[in-house]
Amino acid sequence: MVSLVAASLAIITLDYRGGDRGPLAEAGRAMESALAPLQRAASNVVQPISNFFSDLADLPRLSSRNDELQRQLEEAAAAIQENQQLQQEVTRLQDLIDLGDVVHDLRPMPASVIASGVSNFEWSVTIDRGSDDGIEPDMPVVTGDELGPRLVGRVIRVTPVSSVVQLLVDRDFSVAGQLLTSHEAGIVEGRGEEDMRMDLLAPGTVVSDEAPESVFTLGYEANDQRSIYPPDLLIGTVSRAFTSPGSVETFVTVRPAVDVSTLRYVLVLRARSHSAAGP
Amino acid sequence: MRRAIVVAAVVVTGLLLQTTVFPELTLLGVKPELLYLVTVVFAALQGPAEGALVGFVSGLAQDFLLNTPKGITALTLTMLGYTVGLARQYITSPSPLLPAFLVALGTAGGVAFHQAVAFLLGEEDGPFGYVAKVVLLTAIYGAVLTPIFFPVLRRAVAAMHEGRVVRF
Repeated sequence: MVSLVAASLAIITLDYRGGDRGPLAEAGRAMESALAPLQRAASNVVQPISNFFSDLADLPRLSSRNDELQRQLEEAAAAIQENQQLQQEVTRLQDLIDLGDVVHDLRPMPASVIASGVSNFEWSVTIDRGSDDGIEPDMPVVTGDELGPRLVGRVIRVTPVSSVVQLLVDRDFSVAGQLLTSHEAGIVEGRGEEDMRMDLLAPGTVVSDEAPESVFTLGYEANDQRSIYPPDLLIGTVSRAFTSPGSVETFVTVRPAVDVSTLRYVLVLRARSHSAAGP
Repeated sequence: MRRAIVVAAVVVTGLLLQTTVFPELTLLGVKPELLYLVTVVFAALQGPAEGALVGFVSGLAQDFLLNTPKGITALTLTMLGYTVGLARQYITSPSPLLPAFLVALGTAGGVAFHQAVAFLLGEEDGPFGYVAKVVLLTAIYGAVLTPIFFPVLRRAVAAMHEGRVVRF
């Protein structure tokens, strides 16, 4: 014991007298150099464990922070979704404005779809414009963009503040149509969930196989009466043709150009200079 | 007076849901028939006379929104309300699934009856396959929605008769 204390005092004295250049200082640096790699290795092993216990002690604060970040993330996701929906609304409204310029001569009245038909056997929507806005029964209703108008249907009932629009897929709907390529005319009728059917085509009518054949409304005038629908409203594209040389009956099925289940905004075309004759 | 207000509120709410919410929530493209559900539940809780009355009011309200001759739905729901109310008196099952079963059966029968009457009146509403699909899916949809709407409608019935306990 006395010898150890004496040795310690001797070392202290030597180190104090030798300073940074003494023998003990050199021995210390050598020891540090030898120890450093071991410390690094040990640190790599121990650090995660150390962190774990450190985090464990810090868990209540981290949990609260996590909740906060989670909430911020959810808010950001909701904001992004809302932004996307707003962007879609802007696009729809912009399309409507562009379409309004295209059909300016037909006195378009923009309207929002506020409800769908009550029955599974009738295809109709209710819009927020009525007789107070100059809407009358049999006025055509369209949607679309700067490329042109697409037929949605026609007004069948009007109140001062709203109107019911019979959609072109309704089974009671019919419109005179014309094939784009062959200019053959026929009557296009709605068939509910199925594609519309275009009848009364001339026997042997050829339908283009290369590109989807478009069908447009055929405006006509007879005995000073005009058709309800102006010409060149896109009705849809031919989905299947039942035509063959020599056949008695020739018809095609037409897929509507408008997805009636996603309608939000439409234009009611109010221009009518003569009494309407029919489809 | 209280009864008229409650029935009017239920019918208007049903029509609003039917035309605004459920067109977005279709079952394979088919909307539920909420007023059929309302009629069946009222008939089951109140008996044939009240069921027929609620059915008539509901049907007439729906008819005003349709393009078909007015009165077909009123007739259908009046008969449906009366039939269900009458049948309920002879059913003693305590099963909690009974309302859903009655709604499914009543809706299927009601929609089929409606289409048969419409057909006889010259109102063609589509091929048989589509009608059968609507009959089946509206029945299923009605049964699924019954557990949601039944408690609300039972409260509405209780509100019609203040102080009276309505049990099923």
